[in-house]
Amino acid sequence: MEKNIMITRRQILALGLSGAATLALAACGGGSDGGASAGGDENVDVTVTVWGPQEDQSDDNGKWLQTQCDAFAAAHPEWTITFKYGVCSEGDAKTNIGTDPSAGADVYMFANDQIPDLLKTGGLAELGGSTLDAIKANNSETTVNTVTYDGSVYGVPFTGNTWFMYYDKSVFSDDDVKSLDAMLEKGKVAFPLDNSWYIASFYVANGCTLFGETGDDAAAGFDFSGDKAAAVTNYLVDLVANSNFANGDVGTNADAKAFFSGTWDYEKAKDAYGDNLGIAPAPSITIDGELKQMKSFAGSKAVGVNPATALYAEHPEVAVALAAYLGGTDAQQAHYDLRNIIPTDTNITVDDALAQAQMDTMDYASIVQPLQADMGNYWTPAESMGKELVAGTVTHENAADKTEAMNTSMNTSAVQ
Amino acid sequence: MDNQMAKNTLSPRRRIVNLLVHALLAVLALIWVLPIVWIVLTSFRAEPGAYTKTFLPQGYTLNNYVKLLTDRNVLNFPKMFRNTLIISIFSCTISTFFVLSVAYSLSRMRFAFRRPYMNLAMILGLFPGFMTMVAQYFILKAMGFTEGSSIRIGLIVVYSACTGLGFQISKGFFDTIPRSIDEAAVMDGATQWQVFTRITLPLSKPIVIYTVMTSFIAPWVDFVFAKVLCRANSDQFTVAIGLWNMLQKEYIYQWYTCFAAGAVLISIPIALLFLYMQRFYVEGMSGAVKG
Amino acid sequence: MNEDRITVSNALRRGDLFTRVSAVLMGAGMLGHRQIVKGALVLLVEVAFWAYMATTGFHSLGMMPSLGTEAQGKVWNEAKQIFEYSTGDNSQQILLAGVITCFAIAGLVVLWVLQLRHSYALQRLIEEGESVPTIKDDVKSLFDGNLHVTLMTLPCLGILVFNVVPLVYMISMAFTTYSKEGEHLILFDWDGLNQFARVLNMNGNIGRQFWHVLAWTVIWAIFATFLNYILGMALAMVINRKDTKAKGFWRFCFVLSVAVPQFVTLMIMNIMLQPSGAVNVLLQNLGLITEPIPFWTNAMLARVTIIVINLWVGIPYTMLQVTGILQNIPAELYEAAKMDGAGPVRIFFKITLPYMLFVTMPYLIASFVGNINNFNVIYLLSGGGPTRVGDTAGQTDLLVTWLYKLTIDQQYYNLGAVIGIMTFVILTVITLVTYRNSSSYKNEEAFM
Repeated sequence: MEKNIMITRRQILALGLSGAATLALAACGGGSDGGASAGGDENVDVTVTVWGPQEDQSDDNGKWLQTQCDAFAAAHPEWTITFKYGVCSEGDAKTNIGTDPSAGADVYMFANDQIPDLLKTGGLAELGGSTLDAIKANNSETTVNTVTYDGSVYGVPFTGNTWFMYYDKSVFSDDDVKSLDAMLEKGKVAFPLDNSWYIASFYVANGCTLFGETGDDAAAGFDFSGDKAAAVTNYLVDLVANSNFANGDVGTNADAKAFFSGTWDYEKAKDAYGDNLGIAPAPSITIDGELKQMKSFAGSKAVGVNPATALYAEHPEVAVALAAYLGGTDAQQAHYDLRNIIPTDTNITVDDALAQAQMDTMDYASIVQPLQADMGNYWTPAESMGKELVAGTVTHENAADKTEAMNTSMNTSAVQ
Repeated sequence: MDNQMAKNTLSPRRRIVNLLVHALLAVLALIWVLPIVWIVLTSFRAEPGAYTKTFLPQGYTLNNYVKLLTDRNVLNFPKMFRNTLIISIFSCTISTFFVLSVAYSLSRMRFAFRRPYMNLAMILGLFPGFMTMVAQYFILKAMGFTEGSSIRIGLIVVYSACTGLGFQISKGFFDTIPRSIDEAAVMDGATQWQVFTRITLPLSKPIVIYTVMTSFIAPWVDFVFAKVLCRANSDQFTVAIGLWNMLQKEYIYQWYTCFAAGAVLISIPIALLFLYMQRFYVEGMSGAVKG
Repeated sequence: MNEDRITVSNALRRGDLFTRVSAVLMGAGMLGHRQIVKGALVLLVEVAFWAYMATTGFHSLGMMPSLGTEAQGKVWNEAKQIFEYSTGDNSQQILLAGVITCFAIAGLVVLWVLQLRHSYALQRLIEEGESVPTIKDDVKSLFDGNLHVTLMTLPCLGILVFNVVPLVYMISMAFTTYSKEGEHLILFDWDGLNQFARVLNMNGNIGRQFWHVLAWTVIWAIFATFLNYILGMALAMVINRKDTKAKGFWRFCFVLSVAVPQFVTLMIMNIMLQPSGAVNVLLQNLGLITEPIPFWTNAMLARVTIIVINLWVGIPYTMLQVTGILQNIPAELYEAAKMDGAGPVRIFFKITLPYMLFVTMPYLIASFVGNINNFNVIYLLSGGGPTRVGDTAGQTDLLVTWLYKLTIDQQYYNLGAVIGIMTFVILTVITLVTYRNSSSYKNEEAFM
């Protein structure tokens, strides 16, 4: 595997960043009269708590987090930093920070869909200025959008977060994997229908929308109603009845020849299909004789800064600079080398099948998972729909009614 | 045995009933033992993952145990085991003292607060346990028990602080010890403290052991409170959090068989303890609720 | 006669200088009546109390009506290129601090009354020319006549700090807007009884679910408690039969499952009963079924499965617990029944069951309460599912798991607190009615 790195712009940026930080330091030593930064002209001696997933901190995977933090400290001789590490996977940030932000990490990693929740508990700081410029310069617009909420940017993205298809090449041809219906004729396909992060792909394929076409129109709400949605529900009723379909993945259905998941299940897919492993974006489905591309939710994982901590009150520049560094090009490259974490940084080129599939998915087989406060109303009704489909309580007779019920409850608060 | 058979010659009807009873017991025993056997087999299973195509493993290996006990990278089980052991030793000591103290006071002493206390304990027991969880976290935080290794102290406090509410069984047992024994001792000049430590406790071995046992087990099986208190401090995790994590999405495929191994490992000491204490347990219970 | 009693009003009206001063300067009465150490301690507590009130207490109380107003602020700092955040008010912590302060005040009032009465009592002792207990006497009595004070102080303190205070705090949340609705997770206000109205309103979404969940909770608790009880007892009796061979072996088989921690068993059972779990695989391999049995996705089946698994978990416990009691049943009772020609079933219902019910009623009530609040079984087995489209509560959710979902998962803290309170009210009614009528209550010495 060859990985090319474009160095020029990145280095300049890195220099610029540390330069800005030094400047900031000087500035606060001189001009600011705030008591909070009284220690500015002194040697800054701080303890920074960093939370990340266990895999980033284990010897097996080269201790990515520790290595990068040490590198950051080395790049900033003006700060004496002691690091404290905690284990918190990107998906748990909301829970672990939300309980008590003031006792949470100074810098942590999170999945972008948690931005509204993290903001509600005051545990995530907005980024701006030079940090924001660097994020915009290094990432595609789609990626930046995944960490933008109400027009402000709240994290340094470091990898995409979406799902696609793993399949057995000996069963499905390159053409087969473009259509789910073609695949079902050849072999068993497992799909986590009872997981609301996945099931939306069917509805979106046939024109259902979440918060308007672009996903940022809060007033538009969810549109999972009418014939277009009912047609999908009917399609899913048939799908569940198909003997070549199974709910779940290859872990729950060992005989499945294709399943849908993300980069985190790469090892599992490899164990299952070995050299025949193929990876592709989700296929199309045939509704009313037309092929419609399934669209998975695309998000990102990002590094965030917690404004509620003591460190942020005194030396926010350290926390922000560290977040920028952990989501920066060098760190992303190391992340990719060590753990196959596919970078979002456009300066890094990667060329393996996994990265390709994720990028293709981001390109044409996904929608940005909306970051709306009301997005919370989506999950439970959609999950219930999936579970009812699997249980067989949704039939062709009641498909339209059940779909309307789902739409109604998505558009009303769960506790009315 | 033959001798016995000859002595109570069974009527044919009783013999059939006997046969049926034993058959029934065998079936039931199978139902109860089978899942346990399955867990043990799974802990030796060579194929990874939670779901397999066959009921019985295709291959057997010791690797799950080796990985569980030596892999300190992802889920450091040995460390969790040590944490839990420390916590449970301390909390068990405190809880046992609390439970027995309260039970003895309520059983033997008469004071104004006695009846209100028993009613209050009953009322407090009716609230769902984790309604108190969030507030307990903040109280512990104010005391400084939520950071670093002081989390252990926090957990010990959480597991033992409210045990004074669970006095009923011990009190029931103390009630069955005749008061005349105490009275005789008091006549001989013993203080209440001496009656408690020198007379009542030695006479209550079963219930002491029962109390020790139940309070020792508590930290091993709680995952709700432990998760709230430990949050991201992975070096403070207890066994229950570790086992819980092994079944989460990120880990289940690689760790499911290790989970089974972990389950077996923590069950063995508890099982041995239980089998050894079974007699006391039965005695304790029957003493406690004697009419 | 009234004047002889040691009461606060008598202490104030008839107390000497020291006693009266101790109404303000707590402990003065003891200091003046030859109990220096105790007096000094009480005085110290009062000083500490006022120090606490001055530093944080009054502030906490003052914040209680508004629960905080200042939101977290954000200002762009151009020099640092960073958004600076100001710490806003946090209603949750304001409320907790307020509750703690209220308890501190209540504690001081209790101490005030006690010390006032005590110093009046001391004054009377001196007036009557009797000797005042020295600190040595007091310590001695702590290990004899007042042993309960020594033994129960720490446990009571633990319960107060880690159970009563947190409970009052959680209960007070039911009267606020603390929920993720309308951005009320950091700053919230008092909200009166609105949330109660919402839960009890049968036409609303939450209200409708509440009555469903309540019904299932009660049904579950009845099944779980009584089936476990009867079957566990039956098993114990079958094993204890005179003619049963290898009693120890059978008991061992059943007790084995008790040794595995419950949450482990439950998590494993959950996975075993999944569509591709071990049970379905086994049945499919044996050719008994073609399609996997939907243990967790079919509401009725999920309910039955939960009850059955709970039997698996609970029967060995019951068996252990009743074995000893069964052996205590007076043999004369059985012999008399046999004389009358009663069969085993009749004996069970006429003698064993009534006797057991009499003896173990408190245990039964406790286990009924335990089952109403049985979080683990539901949470780990079905997770409350399956959930109907549009509901927050699943069809196997108990009030307690629903409460967990609403608070921890979905952050409707106020609704969660209301449901917690409702659970408590229902349990209180059930417990009081059964308990007051049970014979064990009337004969307290026998049990509890």
